[in-house]
Amino acid sequence: MNNQYENNNKFFSRFLINYGQELVLLASIIILFVVVSQVNHRFLGGNNLNTIFAGNAYIGVAAIGMSILIITGNIDVSVGALIGVLATICGTLAVSGYPIWVAWTAPILVGIAVNSLVGIIVAYAGIPSIVVTLGMMSILRGGLISVTGGDWITDMPEGFFLAQQDFMGIRVPLLALIFFTILMFYIMSNTTWGRSLYAIGGNPEAARTSGIDLKKGVVIAFAVHGMFVGLSTILFATQLNIIQSTVPPNLELTVITASVIGGVSIMGGTGTVIGSSLATILFAAIGSSLIFIGVSAYWLRAIMGILILCTVLADMARRRRVVT
Amino acid sequence: MKKYLLLISGLLFSSSLALAGDWTGGDDLPTNPLPCSGPAPAGEAKPYDGGSPTGAPNRKGKTITVVDVPKLVGIGYFSATTKGILDAAAEMGSMNAKTDGPSEANIDDQITLIDNYITQGVDGVLFAANDPGAIAPVLKKALSKGINVVGYDANSDPDARQWFVNQAEFNGIAKSLVDNMAREIGGSGGVAIVTSTFTTPNQARWIAEMEAYSNKCHPKLEWLETVEAQEDNILSFNQANTLINKYGSDLKGIYGMTSVATPASADAVTQANQCGNIAVVGLATPNAMKPYVNSGCVESVVLWNPVDLGYAAAYVLRAVADGDLKPGATSVNAGKLGELQVINGSEILLGAPYTFNKGNINDFDF
Repeated sequence: MNNQYENNNKFFSRFLINYGQELVLLASIIILFVVVSQVNHRFLGGNNLNTIFAGNAYIGVAAIGMSILIITGNIDVSVGALIGVLATICGTLAVSGYPIWVAWTAPILVGIAVNSLVGIIVAYAGIPSIVVTLGMMSILRGGLISVTGGDWITDMPEGFFLAQQDFMGIRVPLLALIFFTILMFYIMSNTTWGRSLYAIGGNPEAARTSGIDLKKGVVIAFAVHGMFVGLSTILFATQLNIIQSTVPPNLELTVITASVIGGVSIMGGTGTVIGSSLATILFAAIGSSLIFIGVSAYWLRAIMGILILCTVLADMARRRRVVT
Repeated sequence: MKKYLLLISGLLFSSSLALAGDWTGGDDLPTNPLPCSGPAPAGEAKPYDGGSPTGAPNRKGKTITVVDVPKLVGIGYFSATTKGILDAAAEMGSMNAKTDGPSEANIDDQITLIDNYITQGVDGVLFAANDPGAIAPVLKKALSKGINVVGYDANSDPDARQWFVNQAEFNGIAKSLVDNMAREIGGSGGVAIVTSTFTTPNQARWIAEMEAYSNKCHPKLEWLETVEAQEDNILSFNQANTLINKYGSDLKGIYGMTSVATPASADAVTQANQCGNIAVVGLATPNAMKPYVNSGCVESVVLWNPVDLGYAAAYVLRAVADGDLKPGATSVNAGKLGELQVINGSEILLGAPYTFNKGNINDFDF
């Protein structure tokens, strides 16, 4: 009896330690929705929930890939620029008469190719990922402006606009976010490959001695991240009837922030994609609620800053508790 | 009696100031709203502050060679200004004009190009500067060789050129946006603004002028809120949606303050099936707005006409080469555009902003 209780207690405290950040985020989202809907009941209207969830899902999908990368101890600051480039490729193919599935597949393939290349440079030339991806960001941004001249892409064919469609009453972007979050959470916690990501970032020396090929592991992590950038791009490019062929400002920061506030340790080795997806939703909900309760948007940045600080402090506290 | 009238009107004026809520996103600089109808009053005359060429030959009536150096070539906007210049040159029959600009908006390339044309020998230079200060020395060099120099679209330091054709003033854009909005929503109702950031200088200036003009000429337009959306189209779309969700049927119109915010707001209204219920009026380039104007969801897009801008610049250069446009002039003849007003000492105002609508938007490609 006593033993059983102790076991339960242990399980509960382990659960809290492992998923503390996710629980805090989930609770914050629920509290926010309850409080703001008391101030303005329109906040919970179906259209507004669609705006919050579906309108920001592409950030969450990109943050899944980013979380995988950060867990292995790497980072990608070129993600915003790459989304801009891939969106232009996607739209250009669609208006050039290629079948829609080609336009949808291309960003995924190009995303994998570009990030595999980055991964190879990081792993085999031993250059830190922040340096390589900073370079990649300049290349992609410069190239995009030169090629498109900042022109917009319009007149995509009917059926191209995946992100505007519903499936079983739910917007496709939200479905995609939920599906990929659960899928990657399962893979990362239950497969050898998934566990190896944590080992590469958390304790590379131990990972190496246990037979993990670190270099190959990093390249594959970049390639998977590239795939998610491609998937994110499809949602980004099909949301509106025009494609902005310039790079959305600060998108990489938003994606990285989602991962970090989601509980992915910037030092590598811990965190889940559930956390980064919840963090994406939390930001979007905060941004929307500031408008609903009539608070200046200046606060959004301050709140994001406070959240990042709290997350890092909580991360440090948890690490200390695990060690002792 | 007069005293009382003054007192009463003073009280009314100050109370109307107190009633007018401050629009978020505008700046605190003084505003100068245009009259609700009729022509703009002549502003305070400012002395000529442009430069003048030294030893320019008498070019009156002679065929002149002109090079046009825009910020860059190969984009629709400057192709349109080139078309305007060539149209004007063909109409006048006494100007050989050609456009030669850098392939990227790069100030160094632009300086090199102008320098080369000074060496080759031209009678006139038209330019749209990539940097107002950095371009000044090479323009002054052109003036010192007796070349006539006229700017358009993007100014240089005033003393580095003779005249500058100004495409639009803040209060003119503001009047055009607010008048179009008032007309489309029937003169009264709640309106909101999607802008880049509250501190972007041009947008803040436009919003402040819109507030002043709207309160003066369309007091029944009720400003609800201004939201920030950076230069990010999905964020603009989400912010416009949030406004629609928050205000419901109280929201009658959305002003888009950037070329990103305006089409994204139109997309939000389209996807919310609110076309016809919520008007979108904004600043944007025609290409970004064609889908929404052609679908009928958006009636008016405000900007200026770059073909007219190039056309006016060519006429101004001809007038200054002929000696017809001298310092102190108050207007200049610009062919089919008529008499254009001189403002700010050495600038020529293109006129009221251009409204793109279903009838004309497909004639433009920029």
